[in-house]
This record gives sequence, structure tokens and C-alpha cells, in this order.
Amino acid sequence: MTKAITKEALTGLVAELTAAGVRVIAPAKAADGGTDYRAIFTLADAILGGEMPRRSLRAVFQPPTEAVFGWERKGTGIELTPAAAASQPQVVLGARPCDAAGVNVLDKVMGWDYKDDMWFARREATTIISLACAEMAPTCFCDKIGLSADATVGADVLLRPAGEGYTAEALTAKGEAFVSGHARWFSDEPVTADPAPPSREAFPLDKIEEWLEGHFEDALWADLGLRCLGCGACTSICPTCHCFDIVDETDGTAAGTRRRNWDTCQTGLFTVHTSGHNPRADQASRCRQRILHKFEIYPKRFEAVLCTGCGRCVQACPAGVIVPEILDSIAQRANGGAA
Amino acid sequence: MTIAEAVDETPDTRTFRLTFQDPAVAETFAFEAGQFGEYSAFGAGESTFCIASPSTRRGYVECTFKKAGKVTTALSDLNAGDTIGFRGPYGNNFPLDKMEGANLVFVAGGIGLAPVRSVIWTVLDEREKYGDVTIVYGARSVSDLVYKRELEEWAGRADVKLWQTVDPGGETPDWKGEIGFVPTIVEKAAPSADNAFAILCGPPIMIKFTLPVLQKLGFQDSRVYTTLENRMKCGIGKCGRCNIGPVYVCKDGPVFSAEEIARLPQEF
Repeated sequence: MTKAITKEALTGLVAELTAAGVRVIAPAKAADGGTDYRAIFTLADAILGGEMPRRSLRAVFQPPTEAVFGWERKGTGIELTPAAAASQPQVVLGARPCDAAGVNVLDKVMGWDYKDDMWFARREATTIISLACAEMAPTCFCDKIGLSADATVGADVLLRPAGEGYTAEALTAKGEAFVSGHARWFSDEPVTADPAPPSREAFPLDKIEEWLEGHFEDALWADLGLRCLGCGACTSICPTCHCFDIVDETDGTAAGTRRRNWDTCQTGLFTVHTSGHNPRADQASRCRQRILHKFEIYPKRFEAVLCTGCGRCVQACPAGVIVPEILDSIAQRANGGAA
Repeated sequence: MTIAEAVDETPDTRTFRLTFQDPAVAETFAFEAGQFGEYSAFGAGESTFCIASPSTRRGYVECTFKKAGKVTTALSDLNAGDTIGFRGPYGNNFPLDKMEGANLVFVAGGIGLAPVRSVIWTVLDEREKYGDVTIVYGARSVSDLVYKRELEEWAGRADVKLWQTVDPGGETPDWKGEIGFVPTIVEKAAPSADNAFAILCGPPIMIKFTLPVLQKLGFQDSRVYTTLENRMKCGIGKCGRCNIGPVYVCKDGPVFSAEEIARLPQEF
């Protein structure tokens, strides 16, 4: 069902939600002037349709550091206190379609075989309202990954800019419930959405996957490895990177917390064994792992590429290791051309 | 879990027998030989080791580890009566069902005997299901041999052929076993490949040089199994650390046939 909502109505809706104790997360200015997904109290705090938030939505569902459980020594025993499951209802307003898609991609691995309760508790408590992009930034390549400026995947409701207001399309049962639960803010007036920016031709992702399968050893990796600084900036802002570390932190000697922290496959520490042996001892193998994980390993296992074309890594890389350029170059090689 | 018993295998290697603190879990817990777990020293973190006890024996699990890093050092400081954390069992297992009625050749080096020992005792506990059992075990020196009491027991059994060896220079004056590297002794023992499977675990260099020896003896790659180790954190396919090409060692492994390993990128 497609409805319409004006900016005034959206202001009222946000006020109603926050008054009811629902956390509303939207792109907003941080203290340092950059844009992040942050909790807002009024719509005036949000910057809808502005610049790309610096970090993706991953942090909303899996914070950079989170407690898994607390432990305390009791005599010779240990008492564990599981971390409380996130249950506060929250709404993400104005999510980038690429970021909503990223959450959907991560659902696959988080639900694989063993369900990651911490991830899904936050997923269940959250309604994602995406906003279609009015334009593509030069770094954006969602269309080339097979998404688009108005992609619906991963969103519960999709807003599209329509003159001074928006059209609102409920996409999931959760989205339907949200729209009907706050029906007074939405109107049935037929409104025409502004046209979305056109999509370019997508990368031949199947061909790229096939090429990667047969080119574990290739000069391309050495080339990337020489350029890459191994800083991990690309993995820290990616909507679909999900590697983590598990560590213990102690409060004195008798108690502490086990935490899960974001990690990066781009440092040597990631895979080094206690013996000192490291299966990925050089930067070339670590660059290869990142590209393989995104475009061969994950698609093979979960039928989805681990990339939504948000372009953050293009902006973040200080060394010019540019994923869309790499994909172009692989596509050329796959088609028998020199790259 | 509670450490029911702690045994010093070598100056830096210990074995813990762990019993369940929750009787309901003790009742239902089952695993297969070759599976692994995540063991916690609370305050230091978790480490990944295989389950070293046989799947035929219920109510406890054993692990054997070398004091090497932060977690294994903290675990080394624990003793009988102390509590440690255990998550598992994870991963796949040695396909013993396929091996029934066949002759078995076990090859292990150093602490690599731990997962192999799980299979050996599982087999010996149901001895009638299997054919000949040959074990080739080596370590750098006599003091580096683990499970010394069990080696004596296997040596004394008529239904087990045991070859023990230490690297040249690792012997003591009263050492009765072989002197030489494991692949050399496998060649010397020359177990028949007829209706046989081989199960290996040891340092990468030992595996690398033992595989061609087994091939020469006529073992097909599809009948040679080993267990890989990669750094792991979660054990359940989510932390992104243990891939070898498209394979997740924690989910698709840790047990692989030599045939499967030959197909993998050589990144382990």
C-alpha cells in the first residue's frame, strides 16, 4: 500500500514516537560536524536526504563493542550474567537504501545455523524506514551492484521524495503495522513520487565470482597489496563487513565482561596463530581475502554479494584501493580483456 | 565446567578432564571424534582446541593444550576443582562410519596426537568394528611425547601396532623407540593401503611430508583425513576469521580429506 506523508506530518510522527519512548535514529549532525546515524528527538535534528552518514547501519544492530556476558568468581565457581537483550523499540528514519540492504545481507550470516540472538533482538525491535535517494554521489555504485537509488530490500517502509513531502510504501508486515498504527499521519491522497535517478548497467557479478574462483593466484592481488596500507578504514565503515573479535575485560581479578568487538581482516593480527604462523602473512593476501569474501565466498554460501555499493570505502581509502575499479578490472579480465 | 583432573603431559602441555556443572547437560551432551570446542579462562578469553577424549565415553570432555599464548597461559594456572568455560561441540568429525571394517593408520606429531587420540580410543572402545590399527607417533624429544601412559598401554596391546619416534637428538640414553622424523618412520612402518584409511594430525611441515609417503604406499587422497586448524573466535561461522578460500574451517571442517585439501587454495 502506498500512502503520502507531508513534512509537517512527519514532524508530528517523530514527536509521537519519541514521546512514546521509541528511539528514533536518523542521519543527523554529530558534534564534529559530520553526519552519522544518531538518536533524534525532533525531525528538525534529522538531515533527510543529505550527505551519506559516515558509518553504516551495522552499528545499530551490532555496536562496535558490546557485552556478551558478565562473569564473577564465586569460590571455585564462576557465575555468568548474560547481557540484557536489546528490547527498546526503535525506528530508523531516513535510512539509505544501500544501508537497509546491508542489514538484510547480514541477516543471512547472523541467522546461519546458529541464530545470533543479540543481532536479531535488535532487528526485531527495529523498524527501518528508508528514504530513496534523490541523486547519486560520485562515489555511489549501488546500481552497479544490482540495487538502485530507491531499492526496497531490507526496508520495512520506503519513503520517496514527492515535491515537498514523501510517498510512503509499506514493504513488510512490520511496515504495514507501523503505517496502520500511526495512520493519522499518513494520507491516502494520490501523490506522485519524484523520479529516481537512473541506474547504470550492473557489474557482471556472476562472471566476477567465477573469475575469482579460478584466480586465487593472480598479479592483481600483489598490485592491491602494494597500494593498501592495511589500515582497515574500509572495513570499519562498510555496511556488510561483520568480522568480530571476542575478548575478556576484567574489573580486578574476580569479575569481568566478555565482549564482542568489531575487527578487521586487513591486519596481520587477524589470522596470526599463537605459534607465529600466519596464513595471511602479507597485505596482498589480506586484500584478496576482502575481495573474495565479498564477491565469491559470501555469494557461494548465501547467494548475496557482501557489498551494497554505498561507496563509503571509496571515500575512506587513503591509498586509492577502489572496489568499483577493482570490479571493473576483474570484469574486463573475465571477458578476456587486459586490465 | 569443572576441572576434574589435570595432568602435566610435558613441561608446557597439560590435559584437563572437564565435567559438566549442569547435570542436565552432562546427561545429553554428545559429540563425534574430530569436533572442537571453545575453552574459556575467564578474564583471559577463549581458545579453540579439539575435544581430545573419545566420543564413546560420556559425561566428560578432555582437552590438551600447550602453554603458548595469553589464554593457554591462564588455563595452565588452573587446577582440579577450578571452573572453566566450554562452548561446543562445533565443526564436523572424522567419518568413522565410513571406516568400519577397514584397517586404520594413525599418524601424529607432537600435540597433534590430541584429536587423533580421540579417534584412537573411540576405535579401541569398539575394537571389533575395525580391522588392523597402526599408530605412528613422533615428537621433537622424549619429553615432548604426550599421553605417555597411554602410549605404554597401546604398546602393550596385541591388537595395536605402535611406532614411536623422536627427532634426531631428541632421544634419551634409555629410549627404545625409533629415531627420525615422522614421514621417514611412516615409510619404514609401511602400513598396507589395502582397505585402509589414514588419519593424520601434526605440524604443517609433518603433514606436508607425510602425504607423499602415504601416496607412495598407495593410499588414495580420498581415504586420508586430517584436521586443520585456523585461528577461530566464534566457532559458528560468523566472525569471519577461519576461511580458506570458500571454506569455513569451523563449519565445513576442521576435518578434511587430503582430496578436499588439494582442491583448496594453499592458504593455511
